[in-house]
Amino acid sequence: MRVWNATASRMRCVATMRVLQTYLDGALDEVAAQRVADHLEDCRRCGLEADVYAEIKTALGEQDRTVDPRAIERLRHFGEQLVRGDAAGS
Amino acid sequence: MYQAGERQRGEDAFARYVLPELEVLARVAFSITRNTADAEDLVQETLLCAYRAIDRFDGAHPRAWLFTIMRNAEAKRHRRRRPQLLRDPAQAGRVESADPRGGVASPEQVVVGAEFDAVVAQCLASLPDRHRQVVELVDIDGLSYAEAAEVIGVPVGTVMSRLHRARTRIRQRLTAAGLAPKRSMR
Repeated sequence: MRVWNATASRMRCVATMRVLQTYLDGALDEVAAQRVADHLEDCRRCGLEADVYAEIKTALGEQDRTVDPRAIERLRHFGEQLVRGDAAGS
Repeated sequence: MYQAGERQRGEDAFARYVLPELEVLARVAFSITRNTADAEDLVQETLLCAYRAIDRFDGAHPRAWLFTIMRNAEAKRHRRRRPQLLRDPAQAGRVESADPRGGVASPEQVVVGAEFDAVVAQCLASLPDRHRQVVELVDIDGLSYAEAAEVIGVPVGTVMSRLHRARTRIRQRLTAAGLAPKRSMR
């Protein structure tokens, strides 16, 4: 019985790892997401792994990706010129 | 040649569907080109193509439509110039030297957090372009898998596998730097 439980638990770990990143991206369906959430609650090892990937995602999300506001302004001006028919060459 | 009414409708549609996406387009263009001037050119080209095609656009999913136009515009830009075989060394070192917190010695957690972020940034910069690109599109620019797939013109499954592989590599780098535990499957 203990062997069976250990095997079942390992299979849940493998299944969880397979979809962990998709889960963290919020792209799993509700049922699968709940299954992963339950497992992460129960399994310290997988929970830790989820924490690491969540931190990686956070660190990536905090990378500075501010586009120069002057470039945005120039592009907006270009777009507005198109709307006014000044720049499309039409 | 437009009739006056058609032209007005096209201009309205352009203002309604395209202009609100300008900032997203600029961010995504930067992720693709890694260069502000090229990104600006790419967005201009995208806007121009979108303007010329607006009368054929049905109003559904403007962002996805614009990403497809941008992808095609980028492919056209690439055909016009030599491929960039080596990245500009100044660009490659950009991430490492851009950390505003670098060199700040303070409580241990802050240092570890800064190191973590620095390793993530360095690893991101050293990823193969096709892996780096999906990470930037999804994790930094906030695109969905489907939107990222639209931008680079690959199936959603490819986006997912590149993304997962890239993050796994970052994770391995963090482990090697002693900033994340080793993963041990039983």
